[in-house]
Amino acid sequence: MAQRRFARSLAIRHLVCGSCNGCELEMNALAAPQYDISQEGWSIVASPRHADLITVTGPMTEAMRLAARRTLDAAAEPALVVAVGDCASGEGAWCGAGSAGAGAGVELNASIVVRGCPPTPDALREGLRAAATLLDERNS
Amino acid sequence: MGDLYRERIVAPEELSAVLDEAMRDALPLGCYATKRTVRTLLLSSLGVLALRTSMREGEEWESLAFRYPFFADHEREMRALQGIELRSSPDIRPLYFRSDAIPEAIVANGKGVSVVVVGPVHAGIIEPGRFTMSTGGESVVHLDAQLSYSHRALEPWFEGQHALALVPKIARICGNCSVARSWAYARAIEGLAGVELDAGTEFARLILAEMERLHVHLFDLGNIAAGAGYGKGTTAALGLRERINQLNRAVSGHRLLFDSIVPGGVSAGTLSDPASARAILREIREDVVRFLDAFFAKRSVLRRLEGAGIVEESLARRFGAVGPSARASGIACDVRALAPYGAYRGFSFAEVLTHQGDVYARTEVRRREIEHSFDLLERALRELEDASLPMPLPIAAPSGIITTVVEGARGAESLSLSLDGEGRVERLHVISAAYRNWPLVTRAMEGNIVPDFPLVNKSFNLCYSCVDR
Repeated sequence: MAQRRFARSLAIRHLVCGSCNGCELEMNALAAPQYDISQEGWSIVASPRHADLITVTGPMTEAMRLAARRTLDAAAEPALVVAVGDCASGEGAWCGAGSAGAGAGVELNASIVVRGCPPTPDALREGLRAAATLLDERNS
Repeated sequence: MGDLYRERIVAPEELSAVLDEAMRDALPLGCYATKRTVRTLLLSSLGVLALRTSMREGEEWESLAFRYPFFADHEREMRALQGIELRSSPDIRPLYFRSDAIPEAIVANGKGVSVVVVGPVHAGIIEPGRFTMSTGGESVVHLDAQLSYSHRALEPWFEGQHALALVPKIARICGNCSVARSWAYARAIEGLAGVELDAGTEFARLILAEMERLHVHLFDLGNIAAGAGYGKGTTAALGLRERINQLNRAVSGHRLLFDSIVPGGVSAGTLSDPASARAILREIREDVVRFLDAFFAKRSVLRRLEGAGIVEESLARRFGAVGPSARASGIACDVRALAPYGAYRGFSFAEVLTHQGDVYARTEVRRREIEHSFDLLERALRELEDASLPMPLPIAAPSGIITTVVEGARGAESLSLSLDGEGRVERLHVISAAYRNWPLVTRAMEGNIVPDFPLVNKSFNLCYSCVDR
């Protein structure tokens, strides 16, 4: 019963690794009444310890690498990593530029990739639904 | 009329006195170094003036940050990226760092002082920064803001690349000020290439810039509402911002207007139906006004904003503050009024000013600027109905040096560009409005209570990506 009722809910922790903030603007749009992800049973949580999945953005920076790893380590297993946006996916404007990394989702082994620069709220919702399905499969 | 950019050679030992004089009727934009040449930028109705100071090999830079605090981070940046050694400096910590060597925060010492640290990973959906609050009881004695977590060393990477190939990159230095920066970059290239644009294209650019201001200001108001515990206001603001984002997509193909302004014009297909955009904007405007009226009628919310995070005018001036944050402390600094560019030249422009310098004042400035943006959009869209927008003009290899300034939602967005004879970047430097204003956030928190940090911070709502680069 509990499994069925809560299976597709998601506790999301967001991790920014050198994004331009465009992905964050669209992630924030998910809370707008037009999308209202709370209706899906999804919430943005204040600690990685509460999280089912970590959304990551940006190409990864030298300054964030350790904090990013620690955030993932703090999340309870089995936490998924979702790469949000082209930079996190390894294809964005800043991947490999300057001192930037190859993509935060690439470095952190993302299971789900949501493309876009930035992804639209609709694309984000699709990606998060795919993540919920994947978590379902892993838990069953 | 092209952009006016002048340089004046100033010896290192004379810079301080020359600045004293120049700052009487000009807005300081900051400074940057190219190899061992430092340019200090000022904006007035005459355009941009660069004070050019050349350093001899081995010569150290005498810090000006004790006198003009806005130099502090510029000087740290010059040391980190151009290797210019500082003879003295109020902040000797490295500006950029690896995650295994993060600089220690500056904290207060004394009986009863305790320290609260948040970040770099935050509870909400925001960019990374570490905030260290030294507190005495509930009050913040000192706030240390450690940025640079998003530093990607982009500026050295730009060097040697062709200026026109970087256009989509410039739009992505920061998502909040993308249009403003793309406009500044386009004007820089057009200024160097000697290109003049038609009136319709200038109106289209103004429309795109005001649409960006609308979605950023509405988001800021939603965040301020959240900081004050006014949940209904947050939801309403997010809903209204979303409608602007959807209109952005309709007029430019992109919800955040990325890539809409390009050197030589605006991208093909932009604003193909100004009449319907105008009709949609009118509908949105009615609901925005209703939202603003409700927000500003909520006494319990306003009481949270009043007196919180005060920035005195003298402090804002010393730090060279810009944008709504400075205008809320009574400083006239709107580039659209001070040094009008593009279609702003044709519009009479009354700058929005308030004087209390608190969260309320910063909220009030945005409220009035939103209404002002709707007015500008109405007029500019009407102008466009009789015009057809041409394809972007071809740009022949530009060369030379220039700085252009655009008023973004956060304030003056400056872009300095130097190109070689083949159109390749010798130096590309960005001074964002957020770069100017971050020190204000730390000062504004002094004496405020810890739980007000989100409120005070969001009343500035500064970006990180364009600051860190």
